Amino acid sequence: MSLPPVSSETLGHLSDEAPQAPEAGKGKGPVKSQSPLQIAFGRLRRDKVAVACAVIVLFFVLIAIFAGVIANAVGVETGPGSPATELDYLGDGMPLNGPPHYGFDPNHPFGISPSTAEDNLAQWLYGCRTSLTVAALSTIVASLIGVTMGLLAGFLGGIADRIISFVTDLFLTLPYILIALIIAPILNERFALKPDIYPQAQLWSLVAILAGFGWMSVARLVRGEVLSLREREFILSAEVIGMPTRRIMLRELLPNLVAPIVVAVSLMLPAFIAAEAALAYLGIGITQGESWGQTISQATKYFKTYPLYLWEPLIGIVVLVVALNLLGDAIRDAVDPKTRR
Amino acid sequence: MKRTKSLAAVACVALISTLAACGGDGGGGGGSTPSDQKFEEAGAGFAKVADAEGPAPEIEGAATGGDVTVYVPLDEGPEDLDPTNGWSVLGNSIQQALTHRSLTQYRKNDESGEMELVPDLATDLGTPNDDFTEWTFTVRDDVKWETGDPITPEEIKYGIERSFDSETFTSGPGQVYSVENIDCGDGYAGPADGDCSGITVEGQDITIKMVKPFPDMDFWGSFMAIGPIPLENSDFPAYGRKPLSNGPYKISEFRPTESLTLVKNDQWDPATDPARHQYVDSWTFKFNQDQQKTDQILLSDSELSSTAISYRLGASNATDLKSKLGDNYIQQTGQCVSYRAPDYTKITDINVRKAIAWAYDFDNVTLAGGNIPGVTRIPASTLMPPGMSGRKEYFPDGEQFTYQPEKAKQLLEEAGQTGMTLTYVYDDSDATLKAAAEAEKKGYEAAGFKVEMIPYQEDYYALYDDKDSDINKRLNLRNVNWCSDWPSASTMIPPLVQAGQPYNTAFFDEPDVQKAIDDIATLPAEEQPTAWGDLDEMIGTEYFPLIPLAYRNELYGAGASIGNFNGDGAMSSINFKDLFVTQ
Repeated sequence: MSLPPVSSETLGHLSDEAPQAPEAGKGKGPVKSQSPLQIAFGRLRRDKVAVACAVIVLFFVLIAIFAGVIANAVGVETGPGSPATELDYLGDGMPLNGPPHYGFDPNHPFGISPSTAEDNLAQWLYGCRTSLTVAALSTIVASLIGVTMGLLAGFLGGIADRIISFVTDLFLTLPYILIALIIAPILNERFALKPDIYPQAQLWSLVAILAGFGWMSVARLVRGEVLSLREREFILSAEVIGMPTRRIMLRELLPNLVAPIVVAVSLMLPAFIAAEAALAYLGIGITQGESWGQTISQATKYFKTYPLYLWEPLIGIVVLVVALNLLGDAIRDAVDPKTRR
Repeated sequence: MKRTKSLAAVACVALISTLAACGGDGGGGGGSTPSDQKFEEAGAGFAKVADAEGPAPEIEGAATGGDVTVYVPLDEGPEDLDPTNGWSVLGNSIQQALTHRSLTQYRKNDESGEMELVPDLATDLGTPNDDFTEWTFTVRDDVKWETGDPITPEEIKYGIERSFDSETFTSGPGQVYSVENIDCGDGYAGPADGDCSGITVEGQDITIKMVKPFPDMDFWGSFMAIGPIPLENSDFPAYGRKPLSNGPYKISEFRPTESLTLVKNDQWDPATDPARHQYVDSWTFKFNQDQQKTDQILLSDSELSSTAISYRLGASNATDLKSKLGDNYIQQTGQCVSYRAPDYTKITDINVRKAIAWAYDFDNVTLAGGNIPGVTRIPASTLMPPGMSGRKEYFPDGEQFTYQPEKAKQLLEEAGQTGMTLTYVYDDSDATLKAAAEAEKKGYEAAGFKVEMIPYQEDYYALYDDKDSDINKRLNLRNVNWCSDWPSASTMIPPLVQAGQPYNTAFFDEPDVQKAIDDIATLPAEEQPTAWGDLDEMIGTEYFPLIPLAYRNELYGAGASIGNFNGDGAMSSINFKDLFVTQ
């Protein structure tokens, strides 16, 4: 998730010399003042790949938000079906209707799972919701931690910087899969008697694990930025006129960091989606409710006879992650001055 | 004998193996599908061959050498290996066949394929007096521990005394069969209470006095729980981690819930043992395996798969496995039943228990749990499994329970309990078990129950036995899977319905049932089976404390290099004694 530090020229600053929008006509009419982010957004909008990826991501976001509505509209639901009537259990255990042996089944557009006869579409829709919920929450939490730590370390310097840098390095060395493996059974025991909140506990613990091991790159990035920014005149002058530290950080420094943070966040999302699926595949992520990783781990066993069952969640993950990655790259290009045309 | 935790929703039936039936389908060919498979009923008894002598008959084509790996899906294996604590199908079938000898044992008759009771550490099957209140066994003088020390009658006496200690060995069988039958004085609870005066040793003879006629002592003698235990250095739980072996194999490494590795024991003398062989070099048992992965190992053509054995084949791959494995695909019978056990102290209305039975979606739960309805599981009605002598076919609610949510709903309404919450545990870390639990939940909910499923990933029986566990206190629906210990209802009904028994997970307690059990023991042996059948019906129709879910068959499979792979009807398991690796 590391990315080259964005040089300070890229960053908008609070001085009064507004950068010129490159697309502004040469000398025709007054030059419209634009913030660097506006410029970047304008560039993004003209990037066809970025737009296509944004549409795909939006599509998945809508699916995640309206999973329940869509499932109801199509008439499918999660939970076990009726394997005794829907599967050929004395034969090879595959569905009696729909894929893999028969054509499209309108009642189950994505087919049904072997062994449980659960509807695949419903699993897919709710799996998408799980993926995006976990990834979005983790990204938010990780960026909040990372930005705070980075700002403090970079601006305060001295002992605070050393402590925070040490913690950052420490977390970088801890293997997060191992921690996840340890936490899963502990949670299971702690929340066993509260089955009502067990799914939430599982979700938040996953978010905690992912965010807890995802904030370090942001913290390092922000710290580096702050180190170079705090020697700049506008910060020095703010200090001279006696602005409180908190205000300097929030009002002077933070706005100048928006671009690198946006880039970091846009690349963090797909990484978290992939990590969520990987953990679910190992059986230590979300086991309550649906999850693409969980479906994949079940479907690998049937790949020979029922490949579609595996392809559905797999394609979901791959398309979403690739789209988010390309979008992230495009955002980075858009805010990077070196690619400024 | 308990079946494993996980096969929870499932049960099997079947006992004495009709090998013809088990081993199967002659050609074992590619064309056959499970659809021509049927559930197989167990036979009714075992022959006894008191004069069988070692060494065990050679198996045709047998070769020595080779390392066998046994994959055990959906079962965490024994918690410890202490012989006194051994009362599980898996643990006993491994240990009694390979590492731990006792007074008697079972042998598979190569010609008939039937199991027969033969001597083990004793020179014969024991000599009872006229009314079966005193048994004498003569212990062989040429048998040794893995250390080379001789096995003495005193050590067997100590083993029997130890089996009285139900405080220490909470899951051992001694608390039923020793305590109820052997005369060590009232309240005797193991070696801590001193010497048991009812067991006397004279030279190589050991004489055991009974409190009441006990004609099945020779069967009880096959349990390692009353086999020899060294007098020194055998304290629980340390001894349970690596008990001394006296069979053809000794324990090299035991990792609870993970694996057990056995290697050859050079102190075992084949001439002393009428049933065991030492063909294989080493055994590795891998517990808690993934069902599908195990199936895939057997389906693959790797080096690994040719000496692999699966302790449980998955239903979804049964067709492929059957054509791939041929003769090494076996369907084993056993007198085994799965029950749901509604907490008798919490669900007090018999109609609610019947409603649960009508709301149990047999076909779907069975399939989701990786079993095949009609082949490896059939719906059950009585406590005693088919094939058990004295069994009386009856239906607790007039007809066979099938999935009828409407009927369940009506019963529930009449009881005024609509919306009642059923609380049970399930293992959310295993997709198969989780799927079965969810299929069951769906059935209950359709009948108007509310369902609360508590995720729990360790041994269910240990949980049910833990009176202080908050989870256990919360449960009102438990389960138990039970196989007979020998072909008699006395090993089926008392362990499940007597108050205080560890596998009475319903906490059922009715004085007149207890009295009936005591009365049966006083009947002449030939009248007892019928009396058990009547008691079964009385319990089922008057109290219905346990919901019989299914009678069980099991599917086992082995790779191409495993020779003489077949089932053991006495243990309801794989016959490990006669197995070899073709060279």
